[in-house]
Amino acid sequence: MLTSDTTRSSSPTALDKEKRGERGYPRFFFYPTGAWAFGFITTLLIIGGGGAFYVWYNRPGADTFPGSRVGLIYAVIATVFFVLAAVGFSLRRRSRKRAMGQLNASLNWHIFLAIMALAFAFFHALGHFAAISGTYALIGLLALSLSGMVGRVLDRVLPRMITAEMDAVLTAQGDDRGETLSQELQAIVTQHSLAVPSPQLLANQHAPVAPTGEALNVPWDLAYISLEPTQQELDRDAPHYRFIPDRKSALSRIDVLMPPAEKPMAEMRKMQQAMRREQRYRRLLRLWRTAHITLAIVAVGLIIYHLIYVGVLFLPGLMH
Amino acid sequence: MLKATLLHKTGPQIVQEIHACIGCNECLLVCPALAEPLTIDILNRETVGGHISPAVARFARSCTQCGACVAPCPVGLHRDAMMMWLKLRLWRSAQEN
Repeated sequence: MLTSDTTRSSSPTALDKEKRGERGYPRFFFYPTGAWAFGFITTLLIIGGGGAFYVWYNRPGADTFPGSRVGLIYAVIATVFFVLAAVGFSLRRRSRKRAMGQLNASLNWHIFLAIMALAFAFFHALGHFAAISGTYALIGLLALSLSGMVGRVLDRVLPRMITAEMDAVLTAQGDDRGETLSQELQAIVTQHSLAVPSPQLLANQHAPVAPTGEALNVPWDLAYISLEPTQQELDRDAPHYRFIPDRKSALSRIDVLMPPAEKPMAEMRKMQQAMRREQRYRRLLRLWRTAHITLAIVAVGLIIYHLIYVGVLFLPGLMH
Repeated sequence: MLKATLLHKTGPQIVQEIHACIGCNECLLVCPALAEPLTIDILNRETVGGHISPAVARFARSCTQCGACVAPCPVGLHRDAMMMWLKLRLWRSAQEN
C-alpha cells in the first residue's frame, strides 16, 4: 500500500498540508504502492537469478546454442512471461469481477512481466544475434517493451501538458475564455459602429433644401435609383465574383481596423493555439495506444513465426 | 483511422456532470490509474471544490486520460473530463502559491 497518511500527518507540516489540501501538479511524481514494491522486488530477483545462471553457464566448453537445453528453458520461461503479460492485463480489463485498484496492480504486473520476458529472451539468445527468426522475434519484443516504456512516460507528461493548455483556455471560474473574449470583442465592435456616423446621418447632413426653405428628407437623386436589384447584385454569388480573403493581408485582421480589439484578438489567437496543442496531445496519447497494440500484434506474429521455424527445424532431431 | 478528439469540458459542465453522477463506482472499478481505495462521493465533492485530499490528488495526478472510465458509466458521464478538472485545480493551486 501507499505510505500511510497517518505517518504523514504526524508532522506539523503534514497537518498543515492536510488542512489546506493537496496542492500542485509536479512534473515528476512517483507513488509506489506495496503491490508495486512486491512486483519490483520479484522482478529483480527473477531477472537476477536468470542473469546469475546465465553468467555461470556461459563458461568455456558449455553448449551456448539457443537450442540447447538451457537455451530452451530460457525460451519457455520468456514465452510464459510474455503470454502472462499480454493475456493477464487484457483479461483483467474485460473481467466482470472487479475491485478498486486491482486493474492498477494488473497493469504493474503487465509491465514487470514484459520486462522479465524481454530479459529471458535475451538470455535465451545466449549471445547469438544472427539475422534469423529468433532475432526478429527478440527485436519485436524489444520494440514492444520500448513502446510500453515510452507510453508510460507519455501518460505522465501529456496529461500535465494538456492541463497547462486548459489553464489558458478556461477562466478562473472554469468558463470558456473564448466566449468571454468574443463578448468583449462584440462590445468593442458595437461601440466602434456607434462611433462611425450612419450613412443616413451623413446623407441628412447634405440633404437638399426645397425652394420653400425646408430641408428635404430624401436626397433628390434617389428618385432616379431603381429599387430593382442591379446586375452586380444579381451576380454577387457567381463563382467569378466570390470574395477570396487574403489571409496574409493586415486588413484581414480586425484588430488592425479596430485598435481596441488588438488585445482581445491576441488573447483569442493564443487561446486557439492552446486548443490546437491540447488536441494534438490528446491525439498523441491515442496514437501511442494504437501503436502499442499494433506492435504487440507484430511481436506475437514474429514469436509464432520463430516457434514454427525452430519447430520445423529442430523437432525431428529432438524426437530421435 | 483516429477518431476526432474531444476537448476538455468547462467548469459549469463538470458541475452538471457531477450532479448527474449516481455513484455506482463503475468508473473507479475500471480505472487502471487508481491504486488505492477511494469513495466516489469524496472524489465528486473534491472535484467540485474545497480542499483536495492527498489520496484524491495522487489519483488525479496519476490519471492518464485513457478514457476507460467513460464507456462503463450507465448515465454516460465523462469521468476523464472531471479528472482533468481536478488536475487543473491542482495546477492552479500551485500557481497561487
